[in-house]
Amino acid sequence: MPNDRAHSLSGLLRLLGKAVAVALVLAWSLGPIALIVTAAFTPERDIFATGVGWRPTFENFVALWQRWGDFFSGLANSFIVTAGATVLAVLASTLAGFGYSRWRSRFLSGSVFAMIALRLLPPIVTTLPLFPIVNALGLNDTHAVLIILYAAFFVSLGTMVMRTFIDQIPRELDEAAMMDGASQAQIFRRVVLPLSAQGMVAVAIFVIVYAWNEFLFAFIFTTKNAKTAPLVLSEMVGSLEGVEWGVLFAATTVQLLPILVFVVLCQRHLIEGLTAGATKG
Amino acid sequence: MAAVSISAMQEPRRALPYVAPALALLAAVILVPAVYVLWLSFQQSTFGRAATFVGFANYAKILADPYFWRALGNTVVVVLVVVHVEVVLGLAMAMLFAAGLPFRKLLIAAVLAPYAVSEVGAVVMWRTLFDPDTGFMTRVLTGLGLLPLEWSVVPSHGLALVALLSIWLHLPFTFIILYAARLAIPKELYEAAEIDGATPWQSFRRITLPLLVPAILVAMLFRYIFAYRLFSEVWLLTQGGPARSTEVVAVYLYLEAFRYNDFGAASATGWLMVVTSLMLAAFYLRRLYREMFARAE
Repeated sequence: MPNDRAHSLSGLLRLLGKAVAVALVLAWSLGPIALIVTAAFTPERDIFATGVGWRPTFENFVALWQRWGDFFSGLANSFIVTAGATVLAVLASTLAGFGYSRWRSRFLSGSVFAMIALRLLPPIVTTLPLFPIVNALGLNDTHAVLIILYAAFFVSLGTMVMRTFIDQIPRELDEAAMMDGASQAQIFRRVVLPLSAQGMVAVAIFVIVYAWNEFLFAFIFTTKNAKTAPLVLSEMVGSLEGVEWGVLFAATTVQLLPILVFVVLCQRHLIEGLTAGATKG
Repeated sequence: MAAVSISAMQEPRRALPYVAPALALLAAVILVPAVYVLWLSFQQSTFGRAATFVGFANYAKILADPYFWRALGNTVVVVLVVVHVEVVLGLAMAMLFAAGLPFRKLLIAAVLAPYAVSEVGAVVMWRTLFDPDTGFMTRVLTGLGLLPLEWSVVPSHGLALVALLSIWLHLPFTFIILYAARLAIPKELYEAAEIDGATPWQSFRRITLPLLVPAILVAMLFRYIFAYRLFSEVWLLTQGGPARSTEVVAVYLYLEAFRYNDFGAASATGWLMVVTSLMLAAFYLRRLYREMFARAE
């Protein structure tokens, strides 16, 4: 009997320990986000005040809309760049994934190895030579330059993920289509493409999250017309002495919420992609 | 007839149209620029002026520059702290989740949330938390009788905040890798251990940890390579200041190129980053290389 009680006591302690651990994990992961989002809905003068009740308001968002038109064109630019980079990266990755899945040669093995090695190089290094080239081509401050850069930095991960997916499509399907007289291009379009949609979604998620949030390339290659939302946000932080904190928090919230909802909705694909990407290259 | 056309279709050169766009993208944006940086690193060049060959002068210059060594030292310390803390926390969280939790999916969504946050957003959050006058964490720290982080004044505090927010941003990645690997360990092993009277700690030491080693190595390797690029967090938080004391290598490179207009020195720094990145990755790349060519046979 006493043995039983000891057992239930240790079980209770274990449960309590788990609850505390979960609370800590939640506070760590969501605390900083919750802080900013709540502050965005708080009147400017209350944000740093202690002992004031919360009076939710939209005034920071209204002020953001009225005074930071730049931020909203930044959002539009982010949207265009994200969409463009996603289409380009998914397209190139799917084609290459098909190529690497269905053919074997030393050149192909060598080039896939080079792809992975190149992905490991620090992006800032490539900005040095690209900066004058982009200027010479008149591509500075355009959507195109960011689209190409973002797609290039995800095309090797994308290709690996797509190859893994396409490897799982039985070759017998290709051969059956070939017997019916389909060309290689038709096999790709009619057989492989429809069956690899799941992989394309996994690749798209990576590119979308990256392109929506990216700072370094946007900082170096855009100045005015193609400025993305994170860059405008950083300017709001930069102009900080005498900053309107409420407006800054509102902008941070607007930039964050769509992508946060997206990540939560795509959780399963994201986890699959992350594990496949890390173990397969 | 059909057999002939199948074998004709398996000719490797037919793969070229499919792999060409991806390879062209990588060549144009990464390969050619990386090689060009190597060339630039042997030139004296500023923006808009013709380059002249100077041999290893740029390398000599940066290797004699105390700011470079400080940036390198800062980078090494931050990377080591960030990656190892991440692995320990990620491992602990993987164990917690593997032990069985209610609302598991919801909790994982919460843990993944920082993955969606931009570097800029994270900087806004963490500098607000640690604001010297009004920050929530500043109040907590002083309330506990500890010193608050004076991250804009004291260099080590600035780097501590950089490390903290990097860990926060990237823990979801490390956690997912380790958690997926933990789930792949067969239940029977733990059941057998329990029958043999193993304590939870013993089954962690004898079963979980050894079987997770490959996943831990992969996670660490990726995080070393990606943490090494650290730029935005530092740039947005301290701009490398005060007095260039919190610079990391990528910030040093940026300042050499775009503030001091010394593309030669910046390129030499860049090439050192390339070489060290590939050295970090050498182990992984070697394993991969064998796998690739095994596939070709």
